[in-house]
Amino acid sequence: MAFPLPRGITPPEIAFLAEMEMVTIIPRQRLEGLELLGGPVEPLRPPRRASLPLWLALLLKRQRRANILPPPWLHPEPLSFILDVETQHPDYKSAFSPPPLLPGQSHPNARGQTPAARPRYTPDGQRYFAAPPFLPQNTAQTDASEVEPPSLPYHWLEVGNMLLDAASDDLVEPDQIRILLKDLREARNAKLRAGIDALDAASTGGGGVALTGVGAMELGEGRGFMVGVVDNLRKIGASKEQARREQMAEEMANRGYDNTQDDDDDMEF
Amino acid sequence: MSYYDIDSILTDAQKLPCTFELEVPRLGVLEGNAGESVKAGTRIDLPLWLGEMLSIGARLGTSRLVTLDLPTALSERVMNALKADPRTVDLRSLAPHFYSLSERILELFEEEEMVDVLIDTFKKRAAEIADQAHNPRGAMGEGVEFLRGLDETERQLFRVAHDSAKEMRIWSGEAKKRS
Repeated sequence: MAFPLPRGITPPEIAFLAEMEMVTIIPRQRLEGLELLGGPVEPLRPPRRASLPLWLALLLKRQRRANILPPPWLHPEPLSFILDVETQHPDYKSAFSPPPLLPGQSHPNARGQTPAARPRYTPDGQRYFAAPPFLPQNTAQTDASEVEPPSLPYHWLEVGNMLLDAASDDLVEPDQIRILLKDLREARNAKLRAGIDALDAASTGGGGVALTGVGAMELGEGRGFMVGVVDNLRKIGASKEQARREQMAEEMANRGYDNTQDDDDDMEF
Repeated sequence: MSYYDIDSILTDAQKLPCTFELEVPRLGVLEGNAGESVKAGTRIDLPLWLGEMLSIGARLGTSRLVTLDLPTALSERVMNALKADPRTVDLRSLAPHFYSLSERILELFEEEEMVDVLIDTFKKRAAEIADQAHNPRGAMGEGVEFLRGLDETERQLFRVAHDSAKEMRIWSGEAKKRS
């Protein structure tokens, strides 16, 4: 083939996209603010925390100019909680642990009023509600009022791996985290593989595969295989689908004919 | 299916048993004795593209020249084997392009049951392919027999799954990139 890369998106590309995620750092040096295309970066004044894109945070970390505060889910306790949900919880035998809540979305088990989504404003003054990937899912939470069950963000595998590589001394028990991330990946991979049966339903229409909570990297890995399976199932089942459609069209036509017979008696040619 | 798709060209070239309904003069070249005529009732294995063309006479109002039969790769015996255990059947020895062939055949024949058997086969084998592809030692060990029996479509599937798993391992630093 002329183009050497496979269809879809490669892991390094996914990791590149994940570097847009905002993380919290504690700077060790002063740094003037930067005007980046993705928005201005606030001036760094130690020891005040600041939110930076992951790529800049990793750069500063490598230059020993900052420490990264790990995101709230990248600790041993939340990760083992999620792993328990993935492996033990009866509701999630074949589903993935739920993704982080969107603003304004209440936890299914929670009672009471839903938290109000905070609107943001564009430079033109238009109101909008941010959605992933523009939600800070990887910044350390500042206000303790937001008590949510731990959940894996969309870019969990990439952010986790990159932080383990570059900033393992900023994490709590990095070895434990590494093992937990690996276990999580294996548990979720097994679920993805078990979903092949469900792919059949997706190929004939009317069915679907629940991919809620699946991360970007996992999707990127499974894409080629899943698309291939669905495509081939569709091809094999094409003749059956054709027959089904013809039958449906026939039934529709028959019904239409009966109806016209009933109430259009005077319309004879 | 593109015009230049080598797999669809190869699928077209697979043989299909055809029975001649009429005597055709000077077509004996198909049987191997050139210059002679083909008698009515002769059975010859013709490539799919030729058999398909010759058999559509009925649609044009004339009597059809040949009648098609199911190829051996899709015979009753194979279907029973697939029903029993899809994983142990060597599809490649039956037909290198087994699934593409059956797609074309199913366009020509109405075989409701065969569709179900094939879909079930593909699903079961796809699960096995996924397992084999994620095996970091690749196509070594006990999976060799199974992998040798994959048809072209399944091989592509295996390759895609294996490559993406490998890319992942390279990215996460578990495996070295081959330079």
